[in-house]
Amino acid sequence: METSFADYLTAIGDAFLDPQKRVFVGYLGAAFVIAAVAFLISAGGNRRAGFAALRNRVLSPAIWWSPSARADYKLFAVNQALMLGLAPRLLSQVAVATLLFEQMHLLFGTRPSVGQALPGWAVVAAFTIVQFLLDDASRYLVHRLLHRSRFLWAFHEVHHSAETLTPMTVFRTHPVEGVLFALRAAIVHGAAIGGFVFFFGDKVDLATVLGANVFLFLFHAAGANLRHSHVPLSYGRVVERLLISPAQHQIHHSTAPAHVDSNFGSVLALWDRLGGTLRLAERGREIRFGLSDGPPVADHALWRLYLDPLRAAAGTLRRPRTPSLQEHAP
Amino acid sequence: MKNLLKSAAMATGVVAFAASAQADGHLYGPFLVTVKGYQGDAKNSVSYTGQIARHVLHDSLKALSGGGNGKPNPDLKARLTSYFSGKEDGRAIVAPASKEGFPILQTTVKQISGKKNLSGKTYGGAVSGWPNNMTGAEVIAFWIDKAAAADGGYDMRHGYEYPQLISKFIMGAVFYNQVVDNYLDENLDADKKPNDQPYSKGAPYTGKEHSWDEAFGYFGAPAHALELTPQQVYDIAKRSPKALEAADRNGDGKVDLISEMTFGPAYYAASFDASVYGSSNETRYLHRIVKAFLDGRKLLADADGAKLTDAQRTTLKGHAATIEKAWQAVLAEAVFKYAGSAYKDLQAVQSVLDGKGDASKATRSYVHHWSELKGFSLALQTGRANLDETAVKLNRLIGYGPALANQSQVIGVNRDGAYLKGEGPTLGEYMLHMLKVQQLMVDAFGVQARVNDKLADIKGLAGKINAGGSAEND
Repeated sequence: METSFADYLTAIGDAFLDPQKRVFVGYLGAAFVIAAVAFLISAGGNRRAGFAALRNRVLSPAIWWSPSARADYKLFAVNQALMLGLAPRLLSQVAVATLLFEQMHLLFGTRPSVGQALPGWAVVAAFTIVQFLLDDASRYLVHRLLHRSRFLWAFHEVHHSAETLTPMTVFRTHPVEGVLFALRAAIVHGAAIGGFVFFFGDKVDLATVLGANVFLFLFHAAGANLRHSHVPLSYGRVVERLLISPAQHQIHHSTAPAHVDSNFGSVLALWDRLGGTLRLAERGREIRFGLSDGPPVADHALWRLYLDPLRAAAGTLRRPRTPSLQEHAP
Repeated sequence: MKNLLKSAAMATGVVAFAASAQADGHLYGPFLVTVKGYQGDAKNSVSYTGQIARHVLHDSLKALSGGGNGKPNPDLKARLTSYFSGKEDGRAIVAPASKEGFPILQTTVKQISGKKNLSGKTYGGAVSGWPNNMTGAEVIAFWIDKAAAADGGYDMRHGYEYPQLISKFIMGAVFYNQVVDNYLDENLDADKKPNDQPYSKGAPYTGKEHSWDEAFGYFGAPAHALELTPQQVYDIAKRSPKALEAADRNGDGKVDLISEMTFGPAYYAASFDASVYGSSNETRYLHRIVKAFLDGRKLLADADGAKLTDAQRTTLKGHAATIEKAWQAVLAEAVFKYAGSAYKDLQAVQSVLDGKGDASKATRSYVHHWSELKGFSLALQTGRANLDETAVKLNRLIGYGPALANQSQVIGVNRDGAYLKGEGPTLGEYMLHMLKVQQLMVDAFGVQARVNDKLADIKGLAGKINAGGSAEND
């Protein structure tokens, strides 16, 4: 057995201790502070009302200990073990980068010395920006595919079946979708690394804060965790055309038919604008989360979340059009 | 007070003696004579002067083979040949020679050992990485012939630096091959060089003891290597004045080539250990090899002139396996390093050509490093085990000659000994070959030090970007 229980515990711990991860304790703390400030401001400075909103929408056991949230935690625990075993067997960033790097030698017949003229800081800036843009764009595209493809929606449904949202809902993911995202990361990051190293060699580096891409750090520190929360933080009609706010992502999770298939983006709103899927936040509108407007699903049984998608996905292969659960909503 | 001082002096003496005894425990020799019925006066059974003589012949041959002026030179060729296959008494030690701050004891080969040559101990199999199925000795003789007529040892038309080719290949074809395919192989068996008989009539050492000593001699480490750091062992080979004290174990003010000097194989082992000392990919090739030699020698000393038991033989073969594996890894590390050097040189050549400059200096550096790469890659193939597909890949990737800027490459040698050139890979393709050579060394030999790793940038960057292997959504 190559991996051990200690490796598993490390993986669990890393989720909260690694600044490259969404639920790094620092980011969770920042999100909490932002939520508190946001509620205080929207309560017009009324501390009592502000804290009441914080209690009901952020700290309530009805959210954190709901059947839906408990399923989030179980999925997190089981997936960490599964991915520990799977991850080494998947295509890696290094493999993709090396392949591209090597093939470019053949493509160019040499290794161009163009990169030697550029100053180091310019190369670092270019790589950091390009890596971030490629990452964000590919996340949008894959996310959109997860909704558009009947086969893939069978797995992505697991994430959308959440009826309460907490930062841990980011881990409410079917392993098949997890593998797909890992492949996306390997291909995109590998291509960026391989391409840049070929031209700029050891000048290439990532601009980081606490070890994370500086753009990713800013995204997380500015409350990315609130995307999966009951805090309808909006950035306003101007900024929301540039950056996806937590409120916009909550619209993405909304059961309302009008909100279906909108706001696929992670950080930038650009891709949704180009793809015609951008929807701005609607002030004062209460949103329900989940798959349908009907009664909440009482059962978030772990085995159903893992196995039902396999059956449903197989079903999409047999018949030309299998309607999704969401379309069946009354 | 007097008594107190006396006791203190005695105590210090005891401590000093104990310290030196412990230090002696790390010394390869002296060991007592164990041969039953020995009649002579010798007190020490350790002897490997023949091997040190061959190291000196090798170092001298390397130094001399850069002495050509570009025109045919029969005198130089004769001199080179005498250091390769001659046995004359008069041969001077051309290298390693004394220099300011590093005085060396011996000045002639005979002062170390007489009637020794390299060609008689050279790998006799076919060298498949060189054209025309030549034996090891034939390849070296071929290169000697070319070196004598080359300018400073360089043949820029075909991309060879002969001193490097000759030297690095001898490190494999003579030293490595003799050790792993002879002394530490058949000679450890029960029916060869038995431990209850002298190695030869009247000798003060048994068959096994002397085989083991000769193997140690071929590695080329100072007898007190375990008392030194890899950096010190490296500096001794370089004859650096700052290393004199470390080298001069017996404190006589001179470096005795027989037991206090560092030669080729040990020098390279030390160089890798020193280059990654204290880092996450630290290696300990030098100490691992020397300690295995020393442990084996102690086992033989303890056997006290009796036939080895099965258990003793098994332990001894275990030490031999340790030596073989580590030595092979050192050769693979060298191939890895020089593939990286050649890659870097090709980048430099391309850069100069892009700037429409004169690439001759950059090309010379490329030819120099390529020749080291080629010599070591051939050396790696002179071991005990057939390297099968690894050898085929290695030879194909490197080729008979370096890829040259006009997309030509040596593809053979005709019956008159002249090189044949043909279409070679582009510089970009050949750089890719260098990357693949590095990858091959990692895959086939698990090299750790990885000096000049041309894929290190990629691995470093990949570590800074979240690989997304934890099933997270958005």
